[in-house]
Amino acid sequence: MNWLDALAEASVRSMAQRTSRRSLLASLGALLVGTAALPLLPVARGAEPPQKGAAPTGGADDKAAAKAAALQDPQSCDYWRHCAIDGYLCGCCGGSQHSCPPGTEMSPVTWVGTCHNPADGLDYVVSYNDCCGKSTCGRCLCNRNERDTPIYIPFQSNDYNWCSGSAKGNLAYHCSTARIVGQAR
Amino acid sequence: MRPALLMLLACSLATAVRAYEPAVNYMLQCMGCHTPDGSGEPGRVPSIRDTVLPFARLPAGRRYLVQVPGAAQSTLSDVELAALINWMIVELGHATPQGFAPFTAAEVAQYRRTPLTDVRSERERLLALTH
Repeated sequence: MNWLDALAEASVRSMAQRTSRRSLLASLGALLVGTAALPLLPVARGAEPPQKGAAPTGGADDKAAAKAAALQDPQSCDYWRHCAIDGYLCGCCGGSQHSCPPGTEMSPVTWVGTCHNPADGLDYVVSYNDCCGKSTCGRCLCNRNERDTPIYIPFQSNDYNWCSGSAKGNLAYHCSTARIVGQAR
Repeated sequence: MRPALLMLLACSLATAVRAYEPAVNYMLQCMGCHTPDGSGEPGRVPSIRDTVLPFARLPAGRRYLVQVPGAAQSTLSDVELAALINWMIVELGHATPQGFAPFTAAEVAQYRRTPLTDVRSERERLLALTH
């Protein structure tokens, strides 16, 4: 086994001649810090699957998925029933898409239109009743206005009937619901 | 030739304005103000429910039902408007189909061309005639 002893001795001696003891500390330190820093690089984050609740990374798939999710989210302006909404979503104001928040009253005079539900491929008649009697909610302002007409075609314009039919003079506008009242056939 | 004709037909069907049943046209054109049962809002929005049948039995009332701005200026065709008024007389006015003379598209077209300028006093005159 002399040749093995000779090989080991030669390589250890040559390494000892070429490297300093501090370089071992330097390279070990670099390895430790580098391993810890690698997950912070954008390359490493891009390879991970997106986590729930994480900010979207802007890819085309993420955008399509976010749009599909918004179509079914009652607190999103893109929710399919909100195709003609103009106002604050009652679902963000303590009510829901078909009920008023406590302390407000639903106006019987309303704007009515149709929206297409992509989930079942049908068109529905949607009534956007305002909730009245408190000052504006201020959350989730949406303004999509599909098939709203200018006020010179008044019967299908949604700009002038804010809480106008509300009893007891509750003219303060708070938020808007989006109630399904029938199927558009 | 035939495929070209079929395509033309398909295109014209696809671009045609969507036609709805009278009940849906009531929701889209009337219900927002007149409320689902046609009773309206006392002092603000007149009732359809109480007046549509008595008005449909008077010649001047028939003109009023077509000339009232919400009807005459709607985006409905004469055929659709005639069907909608007939639907309202039965469903909101609780008439039997034999209890009134149905509106035709020609009758609607004839009245619709003439604007009704003083809607409120005409309505009051008709209410006095029917009571």
